[in-house]
Amino acid sequence: MSPASAPTFLETLPLLPQRLIGDALRSLGIPEAFAAAAETAVAAIIVFSLFAGMFALLSLIERKVLARVQNRPGPNRVGPCGILQPVADGIKMLTKEDVVPVSADRLLHFLAPVLIVIPSILALGVLPYGREWVPVPATLGLLFFFAVGAMTELSIFLAGWASGSKFPLLGAMRAIAQMVSYELPLILSATAVVMLSGTLSLPEIVEKQGGWTLGFLPAWNLFTPWGLVAGSIFFIAGIAEANRCPFDLPEGESEIVAGHMTEYSGFKYALFFMGEYLGLFALSSLGITLFLGGWQAPLPGLGFVPSYVWFFLKLAVVIFLFLWIRATFPRVRMDQLMRFAWMFLIPVALLNLPSAAVWHYAGGGLMGWLACGPFLVLPYLALTIHFNRKLAQSTRTYRFAE
Amino acid sequence: MSFLFILAPLILLSALGAAALARPVHAALMLALSLAFVAVLYIALGADFIGLVQFLVYIGAVAILIVFGLLLTRPADEAAEAARSLRTQLFGLFCALPVAIVLLNVVASSPELDRAATAPQNLSVAAMGISLFTTHAAAVLAVGVMLTAVLVGAAMMIRDTDPEDLP
Repeated sequence: MSPASAPTFLETLPLLPQRLIGDALRSLGIPEAFAAAAETAVAAIIVFSLFAGMFALLSLIERKVLARVQNRPGPNRVGPCGILQPVADGIKMLTKEDVVPVSADRLLHFLAPVLIVIPSILALGVLPYGREWVPVPATLGLLFFFAVGAMTELSIFLAGWASGSKFPLLGAMRAIAQMVSYELPLILSATAVVMLSGTLSLPEIVEKQGGWTLGFLPAWNLFTPWGLVAGSIFFIAGIAEANRCPFDLPEGESEIVAGHMTEYSGFKYALFFMGEYLGLFALSSLGITLFLGGWQAPLPGLGFVPSYVWFFLKLAVVIFLFLWIRATFPRVRMDQLMRFAWMFLIPVALLNLPSAAVWHYAGGGLMGWLACGPFLVLPYLALTIHFNRKLAQSTRTYRFAE
Repeated sequence: MSFLFILAPLILLSALGAAALARPVHAALMLALSLAFVAVLYIALGADFIGLVQFLVYIGAVAILIVFGLLLTRPADEAAEAARSLRTQLFGLFCALPVAIVLLNVVASSPELDRAATAPQNLSVAAMGISLFTTHAAAVLAVGVMLTAVLVGAAMMIRDTDPEDLP
């Protein structure tokens, strides 16, 4: 399949509505700037409604998968196999009373759930979903993704502080400490990809992962030593950034009720969930774009399938991994969480950068693996042996739970 | 240039709000808003990279640092400082004056002022990076050494002294 050939109809299918509307407006004599803006708006509406629908579906699938892991049926009362459960949940959330505590800062209390959804939606806009399907092609896409992501922390702080109550404040402090700590390894691991791709544009990063090594193995970043390490770090830090189990301390039910969401009810509470899940989608999509080859097919000869199908299949696999981890792992302790980020993830992510440079100068291939390996394996061994020895020396004391 | 007339008042108003609001958290949030508007101004002027970095650093790090500092250092009783005396306001003005003079002087004497009006230079990120790591390499290294020293110092200050705290 030559890249120069015209895209097939299926490939451009998601772009059809925006092109139709754009052409209609232009034929009416509307100025080009407005027509282009309308096209972008339609593209944004498509992406947003798609992910909002996936959020509704995921809220059901997550409960079903968790139930399956725990050997129980899960929601099965509303509709066949409980498939209408998201609708019932939506109606419940909409009709619930909206409670605002007396001690709350009313404006900021209202603003927080709104602000938490915005960055996730913005971040979804720059991701390449298919060969032709990029809602907003930005040359600085990756930087944009992280820049808008910075707003999430501020809105979580707003939610915690404006509620005027203890548990939200504690939850917000936990959340900010955790998100600031895990943003470093997240960005550092993405930096390795930027170093070797030489671009901040997400569609170009995917283009660079095209082709095959040895004729069958896709040339994704994950299948290089630095990519394997960076991808693993990105995945772990992504779980923490999305506040998912086992790093869901900010909303640990048994410890601080629901963290920053404690004083919210009704649809504002639903908005927090929506922000969290859209953030999860955005982070997983970015991980797929950076390390799993984005919309590239996993095997040669499968190029006839529209590229966005591969993207969403990969997204489903990654989301399932998140659910699996949630069902399997117990929650970590706050100090373990912080120590893991600062003493293990960040040093390894930093060492990964020179290893990416070595890979570049070794020219990849077997030479690259041999040259990069020691850079990554030795520090990993040194760190783990050091921490294990420390762990063995220290006697464990329970100061707060006698 | 029309966006300047929309953005400049917004920046000024939110900055004034940061100075005038009594509760420290409100002031910090207004400061964050003002910095966000500055980021939008950069992007509107065509300096996308600077705008996004401004957003990443000032909203994602500086504003978070300020509010986190407020959370850690201040108890809930903020009502006591709600009323600001005339003396503190005058003192604040007195402190702000030299800064304002220096800034105005720098802006007025800048040779960039004429050039910016003629042709906006569209600099790619790659070109910016190359110039940063070749012509300005010494400055980058100096900043890097300084920041490393700060990081190591911070790590030393918070280091566990109590062996019981280990996992």
